Amino acid sequence: MSREALQESLSAVMDNEADELELRRVLSACDDVETRETWARYQIARAVMHKDLLLPRLDIAAAVSAALADEAVPAKATRGPWRSLGRLAVAASVTLAVLAGVRLYNQDEIAGVELAQQSNQPGLVAPQVKGPAVLAGYNESSEATGPMANGVLQGQPGWHDQRLPGYLRQHAQQAALKGTESALPYARAASLENR
Amino acid sequence: MRSIPLLTLLLSGWFVVPAHADEAQDWLTRLGQAEQQQSFQGTFVYERNGSFSTHNIWHRVQDGKVRERILQLDGSAQEVVRLDGRTQCVSGLLVAGLGDTPNSAARALDPQKLKNWYDLAVIGKSRVAGRPAVIVSLTPRDQHRYGFELHLDKETGLPLKSLLLNDKGQLLERFQFTQLNTADTPPDKDLQPGSDCKVVNLESDKASAVKAAQSWRSDWLPPGFVLTSSTARKDPATKNQVNSLMYDDGLARFSVFLEPLNGEKITDTRTQLGPTVAVSRRLTTPQGDMMVTVVGEIPAGTAERIALSMRTDTATTQQ
Repeated sequence: MSREALQESLSAVMDNEADELELRRVLSACDDVETRETWARYQIARAVMHKDLLLPRLDIAAAVSAALADEAVPAKATRGPWRSLGRLAVAASVTLAVLAGVRLYNQDEIAGVELAQQSNQPGLVAPQVKGPAVLAGYNESSEATGPMANGVLQGQPGWHDQRLPGYLRQHAQQAALKGTESALPYARAASLENR
Repeated sequence: MRSIPLLTLLLSGWFVVPAHADEAQDWLTRLGQAEQQQSFQGTFVYERNGSFSTHNIWHRVQDGKVRERILQLDGSAQEVVRLDGRTQCVSGLLVAGLGDTPNSAARALDPQKLKNWYDLAVIGKSRVAGRPAVIVSLTPRDQHRYGFELHLDKETGLPLKSLLLNDKGQLLERFQFTQLNTADTPPDKDLQPGSDCKVVNLESDKASAVKAAQSWRSDWLPPGFVLTSSTARKDPATKNQVNSLMYDDGLARFSVFLEPLNGEKITDTRTQLGPTVAVSRRLTTPQGDMMVTVVGEIPAGTAERIALSMRTDTATTQQ
């Protein structure tokens, strides 16, 4: 199996978008030190990209595959109180890994949007999840290198770095042209130029 | 007589809720008219994750013409001057090929249509820039768009403050006036562009716009979003033809960019910049691999799904 396909699968797993085939591919390659390292790098890179270096040490793939490896032992094996407890533990650890994965995934979603949270927005707002503080984060170094914020994904990271700013700008300007609320899209567009 | 308070409550609920919805609709209609009818000048702030900026705006309605100038006050002097919604001059980097696209006329805010995708409600009063305001909330009816909270000036209907909120109620961006003057009409000198404001040349725009070779469509769109413009232009740096499509639901907007990869192996990415998400996905077509990039103020999952749903009309494509 090609290195690239594996890395794509890794990325898919990280995005919670892997199908079963990809998941199996990643799990079977997980003993490989290099793969594990790639996985860890992706996590860190992703965390950095989202300014959310919280749990870079979490190795979900290892946890899941270890759990699955245990489970692969035929059920005919010795039955005893410890055995069933063990199976319970396996189930629990898979659940934990999945939960941790989901949590990691959701934090990605949240991380991009941390802003000075307003204390009382009347009506609309339910109790808020307090995310990691990213206050006073204006003009962080990661912003300075462009929206892609680094060569997160291997290949030619330059491709996206070159195009995304232009895409974002074009979107913002076109929105400003069409917008009825003219000032808001303009302000969005201008804020992209401030880096 | 326990039933009386309950009955009152029920009745008031019965009457109050539709009244609020209608009221919200009226306020949005006023908002739509205000910018076409009201002259004003003021200062506003814009804030999103990683960016905070302050701007001046001069807006003059005279003889049925709307002239507007916006100038950033901190950092670089970003500036734009517009006449009747047409950009006259811009500072900074303007993308060529945008100025004169067909049907690029601004679409008026249509509360009737918005009601299909958002719950409209007046949820309270506030005070912004020293002026009393009414708070109108637009809560999305599905997970494919964000919610707005608009604080509209009681006197004029102008938006004094606009918040964009995700499904968890987290603030994605803030637009807020700190000072607004609706009494005086801005004088000519304030509407004159600065020296760094580059005149937008529609002719050169047309030159870089090219005829679209392939037509694109999306197998899936979030409900309510319709195509509002479609352009193709040659990127001066890469010589690639980039197709772009813009969709909106009357309030939220996203763009789809399609660019040939010419055999380059590029990985898919996902980026979030405050309210704006950018999702890139590789798409295999008979003409070679393309990179599909969705950029817009919509949730990441929705953008992802749109990116995966783009197809050419020319032939069968496979993802």
